Amino acid sequence: MTMMDRLPPTLVAGAPLLRMTGVSRRFGRVTALEDVAATVWPGEVLGIVGESGSGKSTLLRMMNLEDSPDAGDYRLALPDTAGNLFDLDRFARRQLCARRIGIVYQNPHLGLLMGHSSSGNVAERLLMAGERSFAALRARARGALEASEFPLTRMDDPPKLLSGGMQQRVQLAKAIALEPALLLLDEPTTGLDVSVQALVLDTLKRLQRDLAITMVIVSHDLGVIRTMADRVMVMRHGRVVEEGLVDQVFQDPQHPYTQELVHAKL
Amino acid sequence: MAYVATRGGERAIEQAERLYREALGPITPERVAELRLALPLLVDRVMGEASLYDPDLAALALAQAGGDLYEAVLLLRAWRTTQPRLTIAEPVRQAEILTHRRISAAFKDIPGGQILGPTLDYAHRILATEVMEGETFTPAPVTPAATPAPARQPSLADWQRANGLVADPPRSEVAPDDIPDVTREPLLFPASRAHSLQSLARADTGGLLALGYSAMRGYGNAHPTVNELRLGEAEVMVRHPSGALFSAGRVRVSQAEVTSKGKSGLLDLGFCATFGWNEVKVIAGATLDLNASGAAKGSPVEEEFVLYHTEPVEASGFCIHFKLPHYVTFQSSLDALRGAKTAEKDEVPA
Amino acid sequence: MTLSTLTRPWAAISWGFLDASAKREMRRKMIKAIAVPGCQMPYASREVPMARGWGTGGLQVTLTLLRTDSVVKVIDQGADDSVNAASIRRFLSRVSAAAETWDTLEATLIQSRHRVPEERLREDQVLVLQVPNPEPLRPVQPNMSIARQMHADADYGRLWLVLYEQMVRSGRIMQGAAYPALVNGRHVMTPSPIPRWDVPKLHMARHLTFLSAGREKRLYAVPPFTRVEPLVFSDVPYKVEDHADLVCHRSGLRGVFMNEIPQDGGGSAFEASDSHLGIKAIRRAEGAATTIGPMWYEEGRFRP
Repeated sequence: MTMMDRLPPTLVAGAPLLRMTGVSRRFGRVTALEDVAATVWPGEVLGIVGESGSGKSTLLRMMNLEDSPDAGDYRLALPDTAGNLFDLDRFARRQLCARRIGIVYQNPHLGLLMGHSSSGNVAERLLMAGERSFAALRARARGALEASEFPLTRMDDPPKLLSGGMQQRVQLAKAIALEPALLLLDEPTTGLDVSVQALVLDTLKRLQRDLAITMVIVSHDLGVIRTMADRVMVMRHGRVVEEGLVDQVFQDPQHPYTQELVHAKL
Repeated sequence: MAYVATRGGERAIEQAERLYREALGPITPERVAELRLALPLLVDRVMGEASLYDPDLAALALAQAGGDLYEAVLLLRAWRTTQPRLTIAEPVRQAEILTHRRISAAFKDIPGGQILGPTLDYAHRILATEVMEGETFTPAPVTPAATPAPARQPSLADWQRANGLVADPPRSEVAPDDIPDVTREPLLFPASRAHSLQSLARADTGGLLALGYSAMRGYGNAHPTVNELRLGEAEVMVRHPSGALFSAGRVRVSQAEVTSKGKSGLLDLGFCATFGWNEVKVIAGATLDLNASGAAKGSPVEEEFVLYHTEPVEASGFCIHFKLPHYVTFQSSLDALRGAKTAEKDEVPA
Repeated sequence: MTLSTLTRPWAAISWGFLDASAKREMRRKMIKAIAVPGCQMPYASREVPMARGWGTGGLQVTLTLLRTDSVVKVIDQGADDSVNAASIRRFLSRVSAAAETWDTLEATLIQSRHRVPEERLREDQVLVLQVPNPEPLRPVQPNMSIARQMHADADYGRLWLVLYEQMVRSGRIMQGAAYPALVNGRHVMTPSPIPRWDVPKLHMARHLTFLSAGREKRLYAVPPFTRVEPLVFSDVPYKVEDHADLVCHRSGLRGVFMNEIPQDGGGSAFEASDSHLGIKAIRRAEGAATTIGPMWYEEGRFRP
């Protein structure tokens, strides 16, 4: 890894990996997102912060193409994709997500088959992408679990028998098994013990450093964002109220809501 | 040569059938007529599940099956499906049904009035053993009411609707001739309203009761109140090619409408109707209909779960099919099992 | 013109039992099934005079395909004289006067439960397999609406996952009969509960196969010369039942799928599951003139 790779992302030359513009979404009378724009550069970690109901998780689901907005444009600078990804049909979306996007949910039930083996959960991802060698599946599942610092003696136990921290590591292994271009993290450590939370964050940090994966992490916890992210977007009532480098935003918040958030945390 | 000994299949099945039929004895027109008269509610139940209204054929099917309900329903269904559809009758409106019995548990009195009609609801269930000692059980004569109840009754839900109490589901405006027919097309989910109601009408009484009861006990989301239960006779109105509407006869029908307070703050309704008089079936069916909206996938009140598992011909057929030989599948599993055992023995620790 | 010139005399049962409207629906769905190999087509599935689960799906396809010159063979577990096979065959000839046969070589139409005959089928033959459960995804997804969506998405990861976990747990694939197979590279189907021994017989075959589930109201097809590939890992070969070296104690046949008959003194005897092939082998040994056609398996190995 060279110094160039670790320069502040905004200074990295070239096109952004992810670009979203004008994304709006309503659920009945509730406005979940209102004209949201987001940009993520390759190798960067974008944090999204806001209280529950601010639209941050909805936005992350949009990035994972699980939902479509009422209006908006979404592009990923990947060799095999073009145009507005929201225009893709269901089949193409699934293919793209399975191969290029990894996600870790706060609730492991959303991301894992709780009754199947942990290694099988990772293998399923590889199988969907066409891996058909049993030996390779085994080796690659083991590798991804190892990279997620999951204890390999338990690799064939089902997640339902594992602790919350270990379940998140299985999700993480599944998410990175195919070396995704984009890793989405939705409150990945919320609900874990503080000590476990720190360990999982360590793992994430190390993965980011070793693999230089582009990440978007959603959290209501400023500490998590401060630890993980290069840049932060603050959301409220479905809008982005402030955006900038993490240090800058947290040291010198401009928007009253951000000021409130930062002071409450301190 | 040794194979010849096992060739008895054809003779065996013929003789087995004879054995069964011999025990039932000859089936005569008199026996069928007596069955029809003596067991009208059983005839009703079979007609409902067969979705074929013909008391004579239903009685014949019961006679031929020796009272095995599933066999009787299958006999009628297999006969029914080969019959041409000559015409499609006009929809029956609730207010046009000639009502014998109509009760509501929701209000003390309702527009049109509560009509108790024929029922054993308040009878003491005492076996008339004197009959076994040679006496005849003669029912006491009915004293007619001073003023007969009107033959036709309004729908209670109409009154509730007029008072803004009911959450009406979206109406699908389909011409009567285009209403999808579940006997001529596959049932797919989410099902059309017509397919759901038709499937409930044809469903197994016992199956609807079991699932309906589980919903009533607490596995459902909604606790039913019987809004209106009705037994009556409906005119089958059909159009003559010349254009004239005429009644081709009357059929006995039951219908139940149950209700509970919905999420919207209004009343939700569940509905079930069937051929013949069969109160348990329509109350259970309506309860399941009430619970179906918004039910979780795979829950015992979800429409797909309910309708697939209460189809009498499919359920009973599959159940008895396990009597058929399964040596090939068993042999195939045995082979995998033995292979795994051998592999275990040979396994080198990794 | 009188009315009677426009119609036929009344008959209690239509020729081929099903009425014209039912047959028309069947033909349409069968053509669709051929057009999209391995894809399950929902159909109305009329009641027939047999209980559901007893071959009513196969029967409706067979009844639709029957012609005046059809020669019909019906087998259950490989045997022509099995009671339910006998019952179906008797019904077919009763409603159509089709000729009956036990000989695979003579048949134009073969309805079968759980087996594909051991003699190779030709392009002028149609195989109709009775299917109890048409949905290969049922073990991983019992809800049919979701399973349909998974087929549309070609979302078969969970099926593969089941095989992966069998390998992890048992060191081998534990799937017995009804081994799931990818048809024409697109849809995974269950080949009905035929043994693994029989699945290769559907791959790039000369004959047309219909698979039909009456109770579940689904039919699908494998047209001639269509790929049928069992789901297997590239480094774990597909294994048929270990029957290649067994010998039929009645006919002396070897290299065919066997029924195992437990013996009083412990141990087992074996007999050919394809019963009429056994009969032909016995006749031939006794010096009678019998023709045994070319076989799918030669010396215990499948010959493509």
